[in-house]
Amino acid sequence: MNGSVALEGRRYPPVRFAVEADRVRAFAAAVGHHVGGVPPTFVTAPELAAGLSNLLEDPDLSIEVSQVLHGEQAYEWRRPITVGEVLTAEATIERIRDRGATRFLTLRTELRDDAGAMVSIGRSTLIVRTDA
Amino acid sequence: MISFDELSVGVEVFTSSRVVTREEVKAYADASGDQNPLHQDDVVARAAGFPGVVAHGMFTMGTLASALLERLGDGATLERLSAQFRSPVFVGETIESGGSVRSLDRESRAAVLDVWVRVDRNGTVEWPIRRGEAQIRFV
Repeated sequence: MNGSVALEGRRYPPVRFAVEADRVRAFAAAVGHHVGGVPPTFVTAPELAAGLSNLLEDPDLSIEVSQVLHGEQAYEWRRPITVGEVLTAEATIERIRDRGATRFLTLRTELRDDAGAMVSIGRSTLIVRTDA
Repeated sequence: MISFDELSVGVEVFTSSRVVTREEVKAYADASGDQNPLHQDDVVARAAGFPGVVAHGMFTMGTLASALLERLGDGATLERLSAQFRSPVFVGETIESGGSVRSLDRESRAAVLDVWVRVDRNGTVEWPIRRGEAQIRFV
């Protein structure tokens, strides 16, 4: 849990993420999205693949998944996502603050398309209860 | 479908309610890839201090986005959405989401909405999302 400031700015390896029809359909059903197209919040899936998955495997953080609560989320979309495209997601630790046994970790995840154009930016604040 | 011209500050744009089921929360876990057991295993959820499994914050925010998009139709796109998750949502509860106009920009045909999700829990209104923000832009 030490050296939190040194972890700020840590960038995890980019993850390629194919937007598959079956998964989009299942996601849309789960969030009650009935208007067609890919639900905007589907970007959570590549965001998790590039972000939380890496955090949980980072030995400098030693976070257990059951300690993690989702405190805050912000999305900015530059364009809609389409089924069949492949996106690249890259996560960066933007900020870490410790308050007692609770760690607040803000992760920024950028999604880009194959042309390198920005598709969306996600900012996720996770609450890690290290005494849980 | 909604049009920019029918909006003014304070106008309620949408409300929608939904019962949260364990099956849907599990489906969300599989589709999103968030397999935190807090959302699937009552024992884990109780150990974390909750009465039972908790819906993902993004399940709630995704439901809110769906309700908003259904109201917008083809008339506008969602450009930004942000929220703090202030209170958990438990399976079996009915969540109600909604939003009203905070500000309008006639030049860019954009609107910022205050968005919220609330739940009636044993006679007390809780706000899983109290004052989130959505920016929409009209075509």
